[in-house]
Order: sequence, then structure tokens, then C-alpha cells
Amino acid sequence: MSGHKLSLVVNGERVEADVPSNRLLSEFLRDDLALTGTKRGCETGVCGACSVLVDGDVVKSCLSLAVQMNGREITTVEGLGRVGALHPLQQQFMEKGGLQCGYCTPGFLMAAVDLLKRNPNPDDAEIREGLSGNLCRCTGYQGIVDAIRSTAEAGHGA
Amino acid sequence: MTVSVVGQPMPQVSAQEKVQGRAVYAGDIKMAGMLHAKLLRSPHAHARILSIDTSAAEALPGVKVVVTGDDVPRRRWGVHHKQQNVLACGLVRFVGEEVAAVVATTEAVAQDALELIRIEYEELPAVLDIDAALSEGAVPVHPEGNVVDEINIARGDVEAGFAAADIVHEEVYTTHSQYPGYMEPMATVAATDGNGRLTVWTSTQSVFLARQRLAEALDRPISSIRVIQATVGGGFGAKIVEERSSVIAAFLATKVDRPVRLNLSRLDDIQSGCFSVPMRIRLKMGMTRDGTITAKDVTIEAECGAYAGLSPEVMLVTAMRSDNMQRLENVRSHARMIHTHTMPRGAFRGFGGTQMSFALNSHMSTMADMLGMDPFDLHRRNAIRTGDLSVHGWEIGSCGLPECLDQVSTALDWTARRARNTRCGVLRRGVGMAAVMHVSGNRTMGNWDGSTVVLKVNEDGRVVILTAESDMGQGANTMLTQICAQELGIPVSHVTVQAPDTDNSPYCLGSLASRVTINAGNAMLGAARQARSQILEAAAQKLGCEAADLTIADGVVHSGKNPNLFAPLPEICRYHIFRHGGEGILVRHTHDPKTVMMNKEHYGNIAPAYSFAAQALEVEVDTETGQVRVVETYLSDDCGKAINPLTVHGQSAGAAVQAVGWTLYEELQMEGGRVMNGNLADYTMPTAEAVPTMHSDIVETDEPNGPLGAKGASETAILPGAPAIANAVYDAIGVRITDLPITPEKILAALAAKEQPHA
Ligand code: FES
Ligand code: FES
Repeated sequence: MSGHKLSLVVNGERVEADVPSNRLLSEFLRDDLALTGTKRGCETGVCGACSVLVDGDVVKSCLSLAVQMNGREITTVEGLGRVGALHPLQQQFMEKGGLQCGYCTPGFLMAAVDLLKRNPNPDDAEIREGLSGNLCRCTGYQGIVDAIRSTAEAGHGA
Repeated sequence: MTVSVVGQPMPQVSAQEKVQGRAVYAGDIKMAGMLHAKLLRSPHAHARILSIDTSAAEALPGVKVVVTGDDVPRRRWGVHHKQQNVLACGLVRFVGEEVAAVVATTEAVAQDALELIRIEYEELPAVLDIDAALSEGAVPVHPEGNVVDEINIARGDVEAGFAAADIVHEEVYTTHSQYPGYMEPMATVAATDGNGRLTVWTSTQSVFLARQRLAEALDRPISSIRVIQATVGGGFGAKIVEERSSVIAAFLATKVDRPVRLNLSRLDDIQSGCFSVPMRIRLKMGMTRDGTITAKDVTIEAECGAYAGLSPEVMLVTAMRSDNMQRLENVRSHARMIHTHTMPRGAFRGFGGTQMSFALNSHMSTMADMLGMDPFDLHRRNAIRTGDLSVHGWEIGSCGLPECLDQVSTALDWTARRARNTRCGVLRRGVGMAAVMHVSGNRTMGNWDGSTVVLKVNEDGRVVILTAESDMGQGANTMLTQICAQELGIPVSHVTVQAPDTDNSPYCLGSLASRVTINAGNAMLGAARQARSQILEAAAQKLGCEAADLTIADGVVHSGKNPNLFAPLPEICRYHIFRHGGEGILVRHTHDPKTVMMNKEHYGNIAPAYSFAAQALEVEVDTETGQVRVVETYLSDDCGKAINPLTVHGQSAGAAVQAVGWTLYEELQMEGGRVMNGNLADYTMPTAEAVPTMHSDIVETDEPNGPLGAKGASETAILPGAPAIANAVYDAIGVRITDLPITPEKILAALAAKEQPHA
């Protein structure tokens, strides 16, 4: 497989890499950059566990090729917040029971960032609709919806 | 005690690392020199393997080894029925059975190599459903025949009970197989070391049962294996003892003597099970005019697929557990577990309870209608109560079932809403309810249901808990942390729970049968109290006072008598070590509940406590499309003292949605034994959009055998959903669906049949 030179920004850091043209973005992030917070749940674009932000928009990294990311800016869950400086959504997911096993959580967080960017004050129906590209088997979505609503109510939606 | 920690809603102790994406699941683990494995599966439901040619695969650059059934130990493994080898040996018994494995430098090379393996099969006739398996001259899946287990239970006088009944109703219900659908497809990393020991990091609900299974399947001493639980991305029963890919991964590591990672794809994960056990249940019940149940007669045919696993235990639950929810005298069950040439089925959240709950609660509503009674009243009339001894000898130490019924009927405004609904128009609404019970613990595992907690108090007064009960997201570690922090008077942030590790953790059975809160919780309580008394003894010596006068709060030991007598906890913990004959604080406590094994007649108090739940909901049925939507739902769980209400509500909501999925959306499609919808686009689990707000409430009974009054939550909550929906559908359109799932096709067909009763 021929290699492609790739230059992009991942979680605020410039990354230069050589990738085969068929390298999935999810593989590139997890296997080449060791950013294993991005999960794989289906690799067919259904579960959303692999969601990341590309130039601020949510993208399923199992459906994207690494080579398409040249010159783009990617944010994974690792770039969202750290201990002591958690993103408000991360904080609310913790407090409202937005996660149990945690496997879907990175994907939901990314989808939620995108959702609140588009609609800073969503009602429950809009939140649920905005999450329709992500699956969670543990929470019944209740804690996730509660977390996103309370983040928006606290004015962190924008 | 300044602040009570138990009973407070708090984030799970693993939440912080999880929201940062920093929890390490098995598929995230990378080791130096690690290789990757892929599995080749049988395309046939039943076939003899005539020959396997692996030479082309082995010749592919990057391939390290190709193994087949010829290479694996002859010893068979299984729960009670030892039926499986690491890979199929000579014969395949279901589409998807693992026949070969490749280990290579990358997943892609391993995948390419699979295509180069040539297998010659001789296809054999297959039995693909219960009826075929039971038919005259059916091909046996195993030499012993297709009925792998049979249960007969009888108490009282069932015939006399029916004779005394004013009404008798009989119906056949069928329940389908559900995919656990945990979001993390199974993953395992296994590695041998220079001494030949094998270490396995995997996604499991029980490291010790995993080690047992590995020892058997790999035919090596138990102590030559170490199993460490990686973060588990959901379990739902499938990862108790039946999981196969971890066994294969471990075997491959011994073959290549290097670390091997086996990540299943979603298709792999679906093909290898472990779906729930589908059943056909014939239920006959008699009642007097006032609604008292006089007799109950059950016949069950259940399908375990190619290998029995835990299915016989699951069926035992279906056959008898719900009898204990009501004050019954005359009950009879006959149940058979049947092999077919399909994927192995087994343990699933609720463990056989969902199947019977569907039949029983559908039946109760139907009979309530026959009697002109409200189904809530019918349940109340028959409900077992605190202090009762059930028909099968279960001692009901606490029962919040009546309160659960009251809560959900009030919350949904049952009576008013029921009266309001009219059966006309395109969109019709209806209400339904169901009531259920579950165990908290179960001695049936092998005459021990104990749990041991080891507690280390460090010299800075912070603690480490060693246990092998598994947290797979349900919150076990948070529960232990809260009990420990409260008893020791330290902040929860000063408590660490170690991941289960068979080399370092005390022996535990793991997370199954909703046993962890009640059993490990009690062990934690004992260990924490022991540590506290050691701390207070040491403090009394140091401060020159009586231990009885001392307490610990906010990390400080102080005297209740003399405000000037106090010492920070770290000082006392150091003093416990640094003195003649001193040592670090290390305590161990085992709690084995005072329960019994069932006797041969299946009688006896198997669990220290029993949990109850009820659900009431409203559905909307679109009579043009046949679509059913749950529009409002309330679920109440009697889990005893809720140690962490946040996690209890989370379990209730998650379980209720899993039940909605089973009832309305999820359906395994098989053709010729082959899974036709082996992906998450075609096997449709509920999304956030598909479900309403999941309201839940808690009935806090005080369980005398529970730690601080607590018992199990979570499994109970999955039980009422299906019949509550079926009952609501009946209320909405007058059509009773007895065959799950409730699909638009079935609704439309039933509506059409109802319009033309003579057609
Ligand atoms: S892994 Fe990308 S959507 Fe499921
Ligand atoms: S928290 Fe487990 S899948 Fe969402």
C-alpha cells in the first residue's frame, strides 16, 4: 500500500505521519497515535463509539480515511478535558450518570459537543434526536440526556 | 459520622477516567512484540471436517501460526456438560463455530490469511429449531440426544387447585433470543512469560470462573494461569462463564509464546453468542372469583443451541422463580432444554426471568380482564409479603412489591389514564403493567455464595480494596467504596478498588445472580469494621484512652469524651506499623450467606434476599403502520437500601430500555442456521430517539440480611418491560401478542384477523 504524507493537528498538537491510503482514521488514532479513548463498536458507522471532531464537526472515524485528514484539526476525547479541567460535559456525564461501562462515552461526548454547538438550548426531543447516531446499551440514555440538558442549562451550550 | 456516604447519589468511581477516555479495555492493551489473531468460522450448521489445508495461509508473510482443531487439547470444557474444545474438532455444530485461528503480525495479515485456509466439509443434516430437534428420528446434536436437561417440579395438588378454580386460562407464549449488545465487542490479550505462566487480560464478569474455564480448556493447572480483568464494556450475563474467544486467545498465546490480542469484530461477536435462551412456555392457571390463584401449571421448551453452557440453570429459573413472587400452594413445572445446530445461548440479565415474566404477566392481565378486576389489584391479592415462606421454601426477608405496585400506578395515573383511552382512531393508546421478582445471590453455584474482601490501610490512612467481584459498569466498585468510606470515616477519594486479578485478589465468584451488593457488600462491611477496630485499638494505645471512646470522622480519630484527645488517621496508621510487633493494617473478611442449596425437589432458601419490581407504561400503536412506541414509563425497584441511588436509577433505565429493545425492535434473523443480521444496522437496538424519559423510583425496604439493608438491583428491572408493553398493546387495540417480539407485521396481521373474525 502506497504511503501518504499527512500533516494535521490532533488535540492541539501538530502530527506528521506516513499512512497507507486505506488506513481508517479510527485505526490511525488508536493504533498509530495510541489515542485509544476513541472506541470501535461496529466499524460500520452505526454505533458512534468512534466519533471524533474534525474541524469542530462530529465525524465517525471508522468511516473516514486518515488520508482525508490532511490539514484538518481533530479533537478526540483525550483533547476534551483533563483532571482539574474537565469539559463541562464530562463533568455532567459523571454527575448525572451519563455512563456506566464507559465504552460508548467518548463517542457520546463528541456527539454532545457537536449537538450543543449547533443548538445551545436543546429540549429533550432535540437532544435525543441529536444522539441518534450513537448507541449505549447500559444507561438507557436517561443519564446522558440529563447530562446534556444540565450542561446546556448551565450556559455551557454555546 | 459527619456525613453519610451510603445512600448518597455519587458519580461512579470509574467515571472520571472513563469520561477522559483513559479507562483501559482489553482491546486497548498493547504489549511489546504483541501479535494479532483472527478466527475462521464454520459456514455450516452441521458438518464433518474432512480436511484442512493451512499451507497457503502459513506461507503468507507475517503469519506466525495457524491452528485448527487438530492442535487443541482433547479435554473438553463446559459448565456442567463438557461439550466444547478450544476449536471445533472434526465436527461443527453451528454456523459461526470457530474452526481455525491465525496469529500474525497485524490484524490485516491475519484476516488475509483466513481466506487462504482451505477446509473440506461434508455437510450433514441439521436440526435448526426445537420442533426439528424433538421430531422422530432427529439427528442428535450430541450423542446423548437433543434433550440435554429436564426439570420436574411439583408442589401441592395442582389438579385439586384447578378443580377449585372458578376460571382457568391456558395459553402458549414464545420468547425470542436477545443479543446482549454490550458496546465493547469481546477482546482479550494473552501472554506467556519466561516461566511458562499464562496471563490473560480480558473482558469478564468473573476472573476466577474465567481461570477455571481456561484451565479446563487448555488442560493446564489452574495456578499456571493468571486472569486480570480489563475494564469491561458491558456484560449483561454473556461474560460469566460461556465466553469462548478469551479461551481461544489464551490458547494461541501458548502456541506462539508471545503476547496475542484477539479483538472480535461486531459480526464475530454476534456469531459467537451468547444470546439469551428462547423459550416456548405453556402456562395454565386457575383462579377463584376473588382473584386468588389456585393452581399454576407450566410446560417449557427451551433452546440452548449447540452447547448447553448455563442454559439449564437459566431454564430452572424460568421454571420456578416467579412462583415465589406470589402466595401459591399448587404449582407444577415441566421443562426441557433442547439442543439445536444453532449458536450456543445462555446467561442474560434476568437469567431466565424475562421469559417467564412475559408469560405470567400477560396471563395475569388476561385473567384480570376475565374477572373484571384491575390487574394491579390481582397482583396485590396474590403478592408475597415480608416474612412469608414461599412455595419453594424461599424466606422473604423483605418485600416491597406492594409498594412498587402503588408507586408505579400512582406515577402513571393508572386508573384515570386507563379510563381515558379509547380504542378508536389511527393512533391508539393503551396502558400496561407487570410485576416481578429476582434473587439477590444464589447458592446454587456450588454450595458457596461467599465473598471475600481484603482491605489494606496504607500508612497515610488511605485504603486499597482487593476483591474479584467484577465491575462491568454496574457500579460494584462504587458500592464497595461508599460502604468502606462511611465505615472508616474517610473521603471516597481515599479509597481505591483494585481490578480483579486471580493472583492478587481473594477468591470470588464474580458478578452474577445480583449477588455482589448483598454478599460483597457484607464482606466489605465486615472488613471495614475490623480495620476500624484495629485503628481504634492502636489509637487508644497511643492516646492513652479507651478504644470504645474513640471514633473516626473526616480522617481524624478523636475521643468523644475529651475534645483534646485526637490524632490524624495517618499518624495512627503509621503507629500501627512502627512499634515493636507492629504491621501494616491488612484485614480480610468473608461473608457467606446463611442460605442452602436446593434439595432434589428444588426446595430451599437459595438466596439471602429477594428483590422485587413493578412497571407501568403507556404505548401508542399506529394502526396503519403497526408501529408500537412506548410514550411514558415508570419503573419501581425494591432494592432494599439504595447505597447509590444514582446507579440504581441508571440500572433501572438501562434495563428498561434493554427490555423495550427485546420487545419491539431486536430480532435475530436466521436462515439455515446462519445469522442474517449480524451487524448493528440490521440488529436494531434502541437509540435515544426510540425511547421516552425512563422514569424510575426506588422502594427502600430494609433487608435484614443485606449490608446496611441493601439487596441487588438491576436484573429485576429488565423483567417487567415486555409483558407491560404487551399488556398495553392489548389495552390499546384489543389484540394480544403472545409471541415476541411485537413487530409491526404481527400487529397488522392481528388487527386484520380481528376485523374479519370469520376469515
Ligand atoms: S465504530 Fe464507528 S460507528 Fe461504530
Ligand atoms: S455506558 Fe456502556 S454502552 Fe454506554
